[in-house]
Amino acid sequence: MDKDFAARRRRDLIIAAVLAAIAALTPLFVKDVVVQNILILTLMYAGLSQSWNILSGYCGQISLGHALYFGLGAYTTELLFTKFGVLPWFGMLAGGAVSALIAMGLGYPFFRLRGHYFVIATIVIAEIGLLLFHNWEWAGAAMGITIPIRGDSWLKFQFLRTKLPYFYFALALCCLAWFVTWWLENSKWGFWWRAVKDNPEAAESLGVDVFNSKMGAAAVSAFLVAVGGSFYAQFVSYIDPESVMGFQFSLLMALPAVLGGIGTLWGPVLGAAILIPLTELTRFKFGGSGRGVDLIVYGTLIVLISLALPRGLLSLFSRPKKTGAAR
Amino acid sequence: MTALLETRGVWQRFGGLVANSDVSISVGRGEIVGLIGPNGAGKSTLFNLIAGVLPPTQGSIIFDGEDVTNLPAAARCQRGVGRTFQVVKSFETMTVIDNVIVGALVRNTVMREARRKAHEVLEFTGLAARADVLASDLVPAEKRRLEVARALATEPKLLLLDEVLTGLTPTEAQTGVALVRKVRDAGITVLMVEHVMEIVMPLVDRAIVLDLGKVLVEGKPADVVRDPKVIKAYLGDRHAVGA
Repeated sequence: MDKDFAARRRRDLIIAAVLAAIAALTPLFVKDVVVQNILILTLMYAGLSQSWNILSGYCGQISLGHALYFGLGAYTTELLFTKFGVLPWFGMLAGGAVSALIAMGLGYPFFRLRGHYFVIATIVIAEIGLLLFHNWEWAGAAMGITIPIRGDSWLKFQFLRTKLPYFYFALALCCLAWFVTWWLENSKWGFWWRAVKDNPEAAESLGVDVFNSKMGAAAVSAFLVAVGGSFYAQFVSYIDPESVMGFQFSLLMALPAVLGGIGTLWGPVLGAAILIPLTELTRFKFGGSGRGVDLIVYGTLIVLISLALPRGLLSLFSRPKKTGAAR
Repeated sequence: MTALLETRGVWQRFGGLVANSDVSISVGRGEIVGLIGPNGAGKSTLFNLIAGVLPPTQGSIIFDGEDVTNLPAAARCQRGVGRTFQVVKSFETMTVIDNVIVGALVRNTVMREARRKAHEVLEFTGLAARADVLASDLVPAEKRRLEVARALATEPKLLLLDEVLTGLTPTEAQTGVALVRKVRDAGITVLMVEHVMEIVMPLVDRAIVLDLGKVLVEGKPADVVRDPKVIKAYLGDRHAVGA
């Protein structure tokens, strides 16, 4: 039985490596900039959703306010860069650290809330963050921050003539988030998180530190999402409150995981691979007037999934082993 | 030798309701003690106080020579108090083995060791064949057993069993009784709340009867069942006169 388990873990790792290798080779065949753009966003959202899944899927604390951490990552990086000349690479880490700290600071009061009340709190907090940035003159307020572009540079992580570096960074982020999940899944934290999600009272009776489990999940999740936000800011080279902290980001992190299979290792990647191209294509097809059509498309998708396959698309592939009653 | 568990003058009030009043009991090492009493006697409340779900309004709880009155449940688990729940609380989306690993992680920080311990406990409790089944797919009797397995994986000194034998078929209950004996033989002290007198009485070394939040009688099971006060508490005055 232990051997089965170890083999399954190894198989997951090999599949991931193969998929990553295939993804890494796609730019050789895909030269179209629009398609490259879609691939970059897909990888980014896969990574973001994977990170969201740590807190909301594994630990069961559903957050619809992760846009806050995404925005904080973007803003920390760009404020440090434009105001103090700190390179984005360091800004990224700083953004991650700021987000992780704020996630824990917010967790301190809000992890006492359960279920829907917690979800509502996350939405409200993210909206407050959005309003604060709207009115914060020093941070550009509603005007936002334009990142000065001085040509291609790895040091400043900005590129005009090619999208490939962004592509590989997004791929690396996705791989990192996946690997962190894979690694934590079979750790004390992973087991604690799932226990907390399923039954906090029972978890407590088994020595699980419920509160700190949630804090840990929040910190890891927020850190990775903030790195994604930093990346996105560099990628689009202009940020304002709506474009990095808007509610749609919270949704776009949650939906792939829900679609693919919440609280699973592969769910977010699978969900993002379907959802993001679909979103981008509909948006592309309908142009500016189509803002909203994409929402209708995946709103419908989510309704269908939750009716037919409440545990996500992944449940089609791996039905848990069912044996009849014992004896 | 000092007792493993002692409650000293424990009170628990919920608003105007007194669930436990001045309860002082002690459980010796290696004993199987039954906590019985009619509905509403305060058994479950006392149980939760011992497990650390909530602190008592008044009084203190001593476990293994240490005052644990104000320690939360998780800290008591680390000190060696394991428990099951009357209404089973399995981790439904996790497999049986994963459920037990959560418990095993209290004393095993290395995953491989926690997993090995969990397999050992499943073997001990007769659930080994069901290791890879989701907890939600277990039949009720197995879920009860999983509760015990999970608690055992924490390697407790004291195991609190909350009505694990209630609602089982006679055969299932007999297997349950055998398991409790096996647990005690492994050196673990057992305190069990039970409703079904005829099953629990032959099993326990000592019975404590609670009624209306107070300790009514305490002693050997055979004496306890004949005690007029106990009969009165369960059946009413009319029957007590004849006894």
